[in-house]
Amino acid sequence: MEVLKTEALTKIYGEGESKVTALDNANLSVRQGEFAAIVGTSGSGKSTLLHMLGGLDRPTSGKVYVEGKDIFTLKDEALTIFRRRKIGFVFQSFNLVPTLNVYENIVFPIQLDGNDVDDKFVNEVIGILGLADMQNRLPNQLSGGQQQRVAIARALAAKPAIVLADEPTGNLDSKTSQDVLSLLKVTGQKFSQTIVMITHNEAIAQMADRIIRIEDGHIIKGGEPND
Amino acid sequence: MTKVSNKKVISRLAFRELRSNRRMNIVVILSIVLTCVLFTALTSIGGSLINGTQQETMRQVGGDRMAGLKCVLPEDYEKVCEDSTTCDVVYRVIVGNAVNDAFKNFSVEINYAGDENAAKASFCNQTTGKLPENYDEIAVSTLVLDALGLPHELGTVVPVTLNVDGEVSEHEFKLCGYWQGEKVAMAQECWVSKAFADKYAPTPTKQFNTLEHPVYAGYWQVDFNYANSWDIEGKTNALISRLYGNSENAPDVGINWAYTTSNADSGMVVGGIVMILVIFAAGYLIIYNIFYINISANIRSYGLLKTIGTTSMQIRRMVRVQAAVYCVIGIPFGLIIGILSGKILFKAIMVTMNIYSAASYAISVKLLVMICLASTAFTFLTVMISCRKPCKIAGSVSPIEALRYNETNINAKKRDKKTRTISPLSVARNNMLRSRKKTIVVVLSLTLSMVLVNTLFTVLRGVDMDKYVSAQIVGDFIIMHDKVSTLNYDDQHALITPEQLEYLNTIDGVRQVSPIYFRRGKLVFHEEPLERLNTLCDKYADTDEHGSLTNAKDNGTIPTDIYGVTDDVLNVLEPADGKIDPTKWQSGKYAIVNTYYLGAEDEKGEPLYSVGDTLTLSSMKGMDEDTTKDFEVMALCEMPYAISTQSYYLFGGQVIIPESTYSEMTDNRNAMSVMMNAEENCFDDVDKQIRYMTDRSDSQVIVKSKQTYLEEFSDFTKMIKLVGGTLSGILALIGILNFVNAVVTGIISRKRELAMMNAVGMTGGQLKKMLMWEGVHYAALTAVCSVIIGFLLDNVVVKSITGDLFFFTHHFTFMPILICVPILLLLSAVIPSVAYQTICRDSVVNRLREN
Repeated sequence: MEVLKTEALTKIYGEGESKVTALDNANLSVRQGEFAAIVGTSGSGKSTLLHMLGGLDRPTSGKVYVEGKDIFTLKDEALTIFRRRKIGFVFQSFNLVPTLNVYENIVFPIQLDGNDVDDKFVNEVIGILGLADMQNRLPNQLSGGQQQRVAIARALAAKPAIVLADEPTGNLDSKTSQDVLSLLKVTGQKFSQTIVMITHNEAIAQMADRIIRIEDGHIIKGGEPND
Repeated sequence: MTKVSNKKVISRLAFRELRSNRRMNIVVILSIVLTCVLFTALTSIGGSLINGTQQETMRQVGGDRMAGLKCVLPEDYEKVCEDSTTCDVVYRVIVGNAVNDAFKNFSVEINYAGDENAAKASFCNQTTGKLPENYDEIAVSTLVLDALGLPHELGTVVPVTLNVDGEVSEHEFKLCGYWQGEKVAMAQECWVSKAFADKYAPTPTKQFNTLEHPVYAGYWQVDFNYANSWDIEGKTNALISRLYGNSENAPDVGINWAYTTSNADSGMVVGGIVMILVIFAAGYLIIYNIFYINISANIRSYGLLKTIGTTSMQIRRMVRVQAAVYCVIGIPFGLIIGILSGKILFKAIMVTMNIYSAASYAISVKLLVMICLASTAFTFLTVMISCRKPCKIAGSVSPIEALRYNETNINAKKRDKKTRTISPLSVARNNMLRSRKKTIVVVLSLTLSMVLVNTLFTVLRGVDMDKYVSAQIVGDFIIMHDKVSTLNYDDQHALITPEQLEYLNTIDGVRQVSPIYFRRGKLVFHEEPLERLNTLCDKYADTDEHGSLTNAKDNGTIPTDIYGVTDDVLNVLEPADGKIDPTKWQSGKYAIVNTYYLGAEDEKGEPLYSVGDTLTLSSMKGMDEDTTKDFEVMALCEMPYAISTQSYYLFGGQVIIPESTYSEMTDNRNAMSVMMNAEENCFDDVDKQIRYMTDRSDSQVIVKSKQTYLEEFSDFTKMIKLVGGTLSGILALIGILNFVNAVVTGIISRKRELAMMNAVGMTGGQLKKMLMWEGVHYAALTAVCSVIIGFLLDNVVVKSITGDLFFFTHHFTFMPILICVPILLLLSAVIPSVAYQTICRDSVVNRLREN
């Protein structure tokens, strides 16, 4: 089943001479439970693409469907609510709320929605990610790898339609990167979670089920499941 | 150690950083300006008041020198001149007094001034003409000329009846100089020539204190200054023992109380120190907070600077250079605004305080420069002290920690955090706790102004108009001598003639004319009061009053003020014991006697009489005839201050008897004062008619009306409102500025964090709500702190200060805080919302990218 789909997604920054086309007519589709990696060099447009997929930025033209919903028909507030329900983010720089402890950070999007936390599920995620002993710690008491595991847990906790990971290992050493990625993959598989990750690192990309290549704003390979 | 010339590069770095941070620049400069304005305005008002009061007291005393030797010889003058501690030594030679009939309302001294400085020292430097040189020349004040009805023209013949130690002679002088007379001065001065002084007051040969009968003529009055006005009495005692040893021949000394009173006024000093501390606290709280917040916001760039090799000292210097630049810009503005606002406020104070001589209160250039220097130093110090700690933080940050800094981690104890349900409110609460220091400083800053406003309001509310007015005036009008409390003799009090009383009775609209007669007499003790007196003698054995008590016991009498009053006055008396019965009173057999023989002010007096006792009054009828009369004590009661002599004995009585009985005991038919009541719609007319009478009177009789006091009172409260309101207004501005700065900087420095929250699903509305909750926390904390500190301050400080004010009735109130809280809540809701809206102009993605 198709969870994520884009149609002729285009993003242009600036006007006139300073006009830059960061994304040009990009079409891709991701199926339920798939772990896809978007690979490209620096400035290729992969981050722009991810931001569009997550509804963090609006495209100049084109559409993004998440679970069949054209997300840019939503107004800002509704889009944010849609995001916290349907999309989980893992950022390169972890982006945890410094004043909340590990558990609070993990359930943050769920509680913002006013929903009860599915404790069984969350505890399972926490257990798999090895965070059980550090639930009351604040982010500044954790190492980079631990922080990123918290970020992964936060992304999974709300059982989103899709998890978007933006260079999740960019701030970690290679050993920790390996561990974190393995955990991301394992949890994704365990909970049949669709994951789209962007990276510039070919070796990391190899861990994904599918590699989507992007160059100068064009998707050159892997845009469709059978590419 | 090798000295590296790196100042230039550090300064360049400091300036560049300054330029890049426009918002902070504005806030810091504004707060420096406000701190400086507060200090400058208050010191210029305080300085003008202290200086003016001192000047005015000097004019009353009649001299500006710190101390003087009385009745000495020329050799004593030489000795004082030679002493190393003294300076500005001047002398006058006493000749005598002018006793012309025209001078019955003030005394006039005839002296010879050693030189121009001696004349200046007595505020008698002729503005027109010169000091006398020829035998028949004289220089006088314009008041003397006016009293004699002479024109202000040089060469005018001035007739003087001269009394030199009892020998009276008539003279005619030629006016060679005159100056503006000071009404406040206790005596008017006239200068004669040396030739005249030598003839009528030749230099004596004997020391003054060896004379059997004092003769003043020819003795010198030597006045001088010390380097400063600190401990004039001690210095003078030391001077006397240096010059005269322990000899009994040491002359009398005079200390100018213009200096001692201004130095000794501890209340003013404490008030001043409290004010300075309040301004310092306000300035410190905001400037510290701005630097602290800014350094927190820029900590990554400091970390970066450290990474590339900048030392802690260099970073600290950078911050100090920035602070100094802010001072250079802010202080001049602060000084100008401060001096201008001080001037405006002071003018208002002058008007409301009914100040005599504006000349005394004119602020001198020297004082102005001193104020400017003090304000500059104070503000600069405040800024430097305020940025000390932030400097340290900036300098001590480690490069790696700086990169991870988010206000929660530096120096924070690593503690686990309990899990709570997430909501905008709970996240806001966590954020408040994230930087406790910042929160405390902002709350304190806001609290300071709230507490001040509340205290001001409590004080204003406590000022009791009825108490104030009733102490000043009884009835609608009072006619009396304008300086009643300074009068010494019965005849000086009794100025209102029977004809004038008759005139007052004829004025249309007058309801009541009640003359109050006064003369001094004695209370002759019987058994019971003597017994009570014995007890008092034992009780007060070690006090200043003991001498008066023993005298009274030995003589069996005490000096007593005897008031003769009409029945109307009985209505304004408030007996402490007994009951006033007007019918019995008219029989003339009863008297009302005072309660407070001792402990005139706060402690309860100890009456010598009880109701029903027999009281014997002795008074002088005519010149030599003693009359005594017995009365029964009807009640114990004080004469209301407004219609009394307004002076008191160390240990003395006060007896009120009926007018008819009073006139049997004395020949003087003049009244001391008149209490009058008028029909309500005739106030203005009656007032005019009374003034018509007093203006035409030769004596210094004036009229006081209730209306004037009511106006005076409202002027007084207006003044407190104006000065206090301005002060609290500026403090409030500082508090709000601090709050706005803290909130806005807090939002801007968390731009990325807020964007991240938004990215993971916190809606704009929820974020705004969270930020508003943060503001509401500030407001709520401020309200709680204000109530607690306000209550404590009220009980500890306000009560102790206002307790001494007779016109103050204490009521504590939270009303101003209650009024301010909604405003603060509104601000705390609006400001974060606006600030968030501003950062939202940038997209989430851009904000997430920011470092």
